[in-house]
Amino acid sequence: MRRVLTFLFATLIGLGTGIYSALSMSGLLPSDTASGAGMDIDGWKGDLSLGTADTSPYLRARVARHGLLALAKSEAVYFVRDRDGRGRRLDENCDYRLSGGTFSAGWWSITLYDEQNFLPANTDGALSFDASRADEERWTTLISAQKPAETKNWVSSRNADQFDLTLRLYMPSKDVLDRPNEIDMPKIERLECRENPQ
Amino acid sequence: MKKWIAPACVAIAFAIASHIMVLYSAPNFIMDRAMQMLEKRGVKVHQFKLGKRLTPQTQSVVRASPDLTYSSCLFDLNQAPDGIMVRMAQTSGYASLAFFDTATNNFKTIRGNGAPVEIKLTRNANIGSGSQTLVSPTAKGIIIIRRLAPTADLYSQVAKVAVNDSCAPV
Repeated sequence: MRRVLTFLFATLIGLGTGIYSALSMSGLLPSDTASGAGMDIDGWKGDLSLGTADTSPYLRARVARHGLLALAKSEAVYFVRDRDGRGRRLDENCDYRLSGGTFSAGWWSITLYDEQNFLPANTDGALSFDASRADEERWTTLISAQKPAETKNWVSSRNADQFDLTLRLYMPSKDVLDRPNEIDMPKIERLECRENPQ
Repeated sequence: MKKWIAPACVAIAFAIASHIMVLYSAPNFIMDRAMQMLEKRGVKVHQFKLGKRLTPQTQSVVRASPDLTYSSCLFDLNQAPDGIMVRMAQTSGYASLAFFDTATNNFKTIRGNGAPVEIKLTRNANIGSGSQTLVSPTAKGIIIIRRLAPTADLYSQVAKVAVNDSCAPV
């Protein structure tokens, strides 16, 4: 009986180790984030493997979880940022100045997502900033939970709590795909906070 | 000491086997769930369905892009032995036609360059030939047409065009 229990215990240990290691190594654990792998360019985390078939089963599993049905990188590349220029978590209780230049792509946008990876539950109609609103080579937009009076360039963080920004470059140029580290990434600067951020 | 060798070997064998099983079955499992979710939302086999314009109130998947419209079609080549003809109707702005197999691989993406796109999707390489025929690695999968439409006006324009998309059996 003791011998049977020993083998049963060994089986359970083996199964647990195998399942956990597979989930962990391929980014399938619930705590794993989309930006947990790939490259980091000035605080923007991206993964040019999303939307592609790859021979590595680990990468394939990770892409299935974090980039399911994503566009191929020839069509779009994605970068995510959840901290300001000083490394503090982006928070609805603070205002931010987001500034940048043009991108070598057919179209681009920067969209705000809440901590649950959804668009924030508000009706402000200011979910993102995109190429159509950046009418100058250098642009600036305000991220705030309150609509500003002085600028039309506004992304609403109302009801977002802690949030992140996703930069999408559609139809990226060959330069972007070959040398992503040279992309002029937008800067994000914290302005005022209404309450203490979490 | 000797008595632990056999149980240790069993543990290692089960660890390797379960590791491989999880690794290789995860993409198919995830895609299967995605296809079921699309079916629940009214996406039918061999028929494109344009999703609602994305807003905080209509979103149903994480990190969807509010810049794009999504038209989805589930395909099942077991039900279409001669393949299906996929047509992306003409749009003036950015559009792409992407094919995904049941292991989540994006096995083909075609960009629309202001002209309609037509391609035959088959399971069998002997059915048809040339650049207008595409062989699917798996019998089932998802086809997605994305079009750039960041405003309500542009979404309305896409909605008028998208009724001409099709993915019907040959």
